Amino acid sequence: MKHRIWIFLIGIFCLFTWLAFRCIKEEPVKFLIPKGWPKPHYDFSKNKLTAAGFSLGRKLFYDPVLSNDSSISCASCHLQATGFAHVDHDLSHGIEGKIGTRNAPGIVNPAWNKFFMWDGGVNHLEVQALAPITNPIEMNESLNHIVIKLSTQLSYRKAFKRAFGDSIISGQRVLLGISQFLVMLNSSNSKYDKYIRHEKDGKFSVQELNGLKIFRKHCGSCHTEPLFTNNDFANNGLKVDTSLKDYGRYSITHNANDSLKFKVPSLRNIEFTYPYMHDGRFKKLSEVLNHYNSGIKSSKTLANELQKPMQLTAEQKTDLLVFLLTLSDKSFLFDQRFSYPREKS
Amino acid sequence: MYVAFSVAVYGMKAQKNEGSLIIKIHPVFNGKALKLTTEPYVNAHQDSLFIDVFKCYLSALKLSPGNGVEFKETKSYHLINADDSISLVFVIKNIPEGNFKTLSFNIGVDSISSVSGALDGDLDPSKGMYWAWNTGYIDAKLMGRSKQCKTRQNSFEYHIGGYSGPNKTLQKVRLDLNIINIEPNKTTHLELKAELAEWFNNPYLLDLSVTNAVLIPGKEALRMAENYADMFQVLKITSPKK
Ligand code: HEC
Ligand code: HEC
Repeated sequence: MKHRIWIFLIGIFCLFTWLAFRCIKEEPVKFLIPKGWPKPHYDFSKNKLTAAGFSLGRKLFYDPVLSNDSSISCASCHLQATGFAHVDHDLSHGIEGKIGTRNAPGIVNPAWNKFFMWDGGVNHLEVQALAPITNPIEMNESLNHIVIKLSTQLSYRKAFKRAFGDSIISGQRVLLGISQFLVMLNSSNSKYDKYIRHEKDGKFSVQELNGLKIFRKHCGSCHTEPLFTNNDFANNGLKVDTSLKDYGRYSITHNANDSLKFKVPSLRNIEFTYPYMHDGRFKKLSEVLNHYNSGIKSSKTLANELQKPMQLTAEQKTDLLVFLLTLSDKSFLFDQRFSYPREKS
Repeated sequence: MYVAFSVAVYGMKAQKNEGSLIIKIHPVFNGKALKLTTEPYVNAHQDSLFIDVFKCYLSALKLSPGNGVEFKETKSYHLINADDSISLVFVIKNIPEGNFKTLSFNIGVDSISSVSGALDGDLDPSKGMYWAWNTGYIDAKLMGRSKQCKTRQNSFEYHIGGYSGPNKTLQKVRLDLNIINIEPNKTTHLELKAELAEWFNNPYLLDLSVTNAVLIPGKEALRMAENYADMFQVLKITSPKK
């Protein structure tokens, strides 16, 4: 009789432990589509978000093991506090301080993006990480070698087991893990969002309201709300940098109509993601506005809506600038879930 | 319980009327078994060369009877690598018994897979057959050296691929098998040769002093793909012993 009770208790104990572990593994990380936003482009059905998958991705994002000499992590070029952009570097630098050819953009709401990189050369979020990993002047590493390096680390074998059910580490799983982190980098709590949602602290000043009006008139066709990008490519009238000779989308499609077109970037947290444009040529937002107002360089592929000068007054430019600052989202920039993972795992 | 059940069902099915086919690929150059790195070969342009790397994807394998239902392998992607003998042999299972007349497959990877993110198995991007900066699969790679190449270490490099618009390099292959027998619970063997000399000729005669680096999708890649489209030929079929 006594034995039976013991066996029963042990059984119950095992069941609970099993359930607890199951819960740890399968606890969903919530991906919320903000009210009024379109459906994300990313197909979550093939990479179900879990707490374990997300925390694996976060660990990988912050780990220099992804670079050849363990000197550089994704976060070296994509800092949370600056909207995951590479602040103060017009052209990003990577391994051994080598200078790249483009400015690191912020990473924001990537689940809604169809294409990645300034030229859209990357067609899917999951394979985005391959570009910096294999670039000789960024991380200069191979996915295959990363798999080998991670397989020797117990903490990674455990993390992969929690995320995928067994401790096998493959290239696919590394990429799926990183993607679980990236898709959560969503910003939808700026003052602008609160204004749209009619929330208490979302009252716009007259200046901000006027700025929004100007924005919708002159900028909204490309930097379309609520994502502040239309996910398309455009030539916004930048003069070609003769030393970089970057023709953007053309280098991918070899179609003359794509010459000098670049991906329309989101403007969320734009206050922090300086310097601006694919080559980081503008340090300040006021320079960007001056460019649009009076610096547009005409060329064959220049966007229609930028053909005519905007002729904004100094006052209107100020209002527009004040509006752009309402796109800053402190709750995103300081979200603990996205910061360097300090806890032991 | 469920596992046991499905194994049982699977077993029953296999017992009934299905057999398998083992395909073995023999990479050759001008008909001679390929030896990487050390053996000199001569191409149609009479350039002498060495081969260091040969890899390619075979996908969407299909067996067709003269008339009747054709058999399509599911999740059909095989990366073959001249430097890895295991990759040169693969099994196709659960083929319904019968006589088949043609084998068709693609050299390369379909465009859907090229836009589907991180995939597994032979399609895992860690296999080194994936472009990072202009994402998509590399259908086939041939690399080597020739005195004709005025490049670093006299090397030539062909990474052939491209999945969109006019740059699609995927090549359809159809091989006449005469008749191949698939018998229940038995294995039929099919040996194919991969004639690498085809890369350099027919329809486009390649001059190694001119064409020594094709690393992006485009016109040159398309020409190479057309060249190698007929590199696979049937060597031998061995039906299961009675
Ligand atoms: C050496 C600096 C550097 C490192 C390290 C780096 N990146 Fe980047 N990242 C860039 C640059 C520069 C771009 C823009 C490149 C381009 O458009 O050609 C970029 C673009 C991106 C984008 C695309 C954003 C968009 O909207 O198109 C994402 C996402 C991204 N990186 C994620 C990562 C991840 C994940 C890692 C780690 C595996 C990583 N990056 C490592 C510099 C870096
Ligand atoms: C025709 C489409 C189009 C219109 C209209 C447009 N932009 Fe842009 N914008 C772009 C493109 C494309 C880029 C990226 C260009 C590049 O880097 O080469 C860009 C870049 C920017 C950037 C830099 C973002 C970064 O992360 O570096 C800012 C800021 C910006 N635009 C603000 C504005 C404002 C404000 C307006 C209205 C006055 C406006 N844009 C109108 C297409 C457009």
